Amino acid sequence: MSGTFVIVGAGLSGGAAAAALREEGFDGRVVLIGAEPQPPYERPPLSKEYLRGEVPFEQALVQDPRFYAENGIETRFGVPATCVDSVEKIIELDDGERVIYDGLLIATGGRNRRPSIPGMDLEGVYGLRTVANCDRIRQEIVPGRRAVVVGMGFIGSEVAASLRQSGLEVVVVDRNKMPLRRVLGDEVGRVIEEIHRDNGTTMVFEDTVAAFEGDGHVERVRTTRGRDIECDFVVVGLGIEPVIGLLAGTGVKLDNGVVVDEHCWTGVDGIYAAGDVANYYHPVFRRRIRVEHWQNALKQGPVAARNMLGKSEAYAEVPWFWSDQYEYNLQYAGFHTEWDELVVRGSLRERDFIAFYRKNGRVLAAVTIGRGRDLRRSMPLIKAQRPVDPGKLQDPEVELRTLVGAADAR
Amino acid sequence: MAEFVVVAGADALGEGEMRVFDVGGTRIAVANVAGTFYAFDDTCTHVGCSLAEGDLEEKTVICPCHGSEFDVASGAVLQGPARRPVKTYETRVEGDSLEVKG
Repeated sequence: MSGTFVIVGAGLSGGAAAAALREEGFDGRVVLIGAEPQPPYERPPLSKEYLRGEVPFEQALVQDPRFYAENGIETRFGVPATCVDSVEKIIELDDGERVIYDGLLIATGGRNRRPSIPGMDLEGVYGLRTVANCDRIRQEIVPGRRAVVVGMGFIGSEVAASLRQSGLEVVVVDRNKMPLRRVLGDEVGRVIEEIHRDNGTTMVFEDTVAAFEGDGHVERVRTTRGRDIECDFVVVGLGIEPVIGLLAGTGVKLDNGVVVDEHCWTGVDGIYAAGDVANYYHPVFRRRIRVEHWQNALKQGPVAARNMLGKSEAYAEVPWFWSDQYEYNLQYAGFHTEWDELVVRGSLRERDFIAFYRKNGRVLAAVTIGRGRDLRRSMPLIKAQRPVDPGKLQDPEVELRTLVGAADAR
Repeated sequence: MAEFVVVAGADALGEGEMRVFDVGGTRIAVANVAGTFYAFDDTCTHVGCSLAEGDLEEKTVICPCHGSEFDVASGAVLQGPARRPVKTYETRVEGDSLEVKG
């Protein structure tokens, strides 16, 4: 097969897709375009090992930097794409270059949400998405200094933990009444809260930032409920929004990212999407979901690439991610937004458990601290989407792998 | 020079099982794959979780924390996030004993 395949977005998903095109034997032109100057890298270390200075950046690279030239992959790193003409099939870059494509993969990912808070532009107020962001935060990491982390989702929680581990004083401000409540619920959220409290993080819940204040550089955070928190710097972790501006006027449906089917196709000739930006139809959960995690980027990019080459491969991975905070390894698999019942095997108090989010008898998702093996063994159960007996979920004597397809379940 | 040391009885590990042994101060995992013993560093090269606490699927060991996969025979990374292989060790059964060259 010949032709030109352009991948916009040189993160994990785009990088993995480019490699997959060559693995599949595609010998046409591959152009990998990325807004950041670095070759594709993985982001999980940016809130953990790399932020704490424990591993070099090179360990986060998706491929050795020579890989692209060696495999005839043209790269445009540090050059954002600006617009797409889906009729003439042309993509235009910020430096004026125009590339005519036969296939186009949108893997542009997300950018940090930046709420319009007064003082957001002060020096010392950081977001964390890129290695450049991370390097700036690292320069602030000196034991004894005071940091404020805004938002206690996964990124905020991990950053707070890494900063405490690096010897800083940390205050977290979050609008909810505990960390990760929206995703994990009260019972598990409480466990995370206690982990952070035990490690000396000060947590301010049910409050939001009214203003960042300081003379040029942030000096304090003023909250809506009237607290003043003195600090040396701030990390804001309020989630991301998909980067989709490029596709305005192309006919591609944009709704919470780029809308695609289970084959990562947008419905517009030649245009596909994968990774954080893709709002895709998931055949297991029978709805569209958008997943902002490592595994999704790693696996979905190559599926999109193969479908661009004419295959018809549905992407049906069960979403899975980990979050390391202090010495705890938390993992989640599945997808849920609401649930009837949380069934716990093990002990929340001892931080050694797997908990199942159950709705209408089915296990939609599971979360664990310290029982990764059980989580892995629960994935077929989640994928099967069949009713499961909660007593068996709870019973440590019942091997989880035996529950898949158990016809006796009620 | 590394020498073979006895770590357990030859019947200590059932098929599909893994166990960790301290061999001269190193945590070495031994896996029984269809009657053949494979020995490798128990410490995952990614961030140090115990591989023996993960799953064994044929000749692949899967890290319980982050899902990295290694070939137990060669130590090669089959799936990230780990980048570096795990070190492997020779094994042998001498009489009733399972031995690892550590």
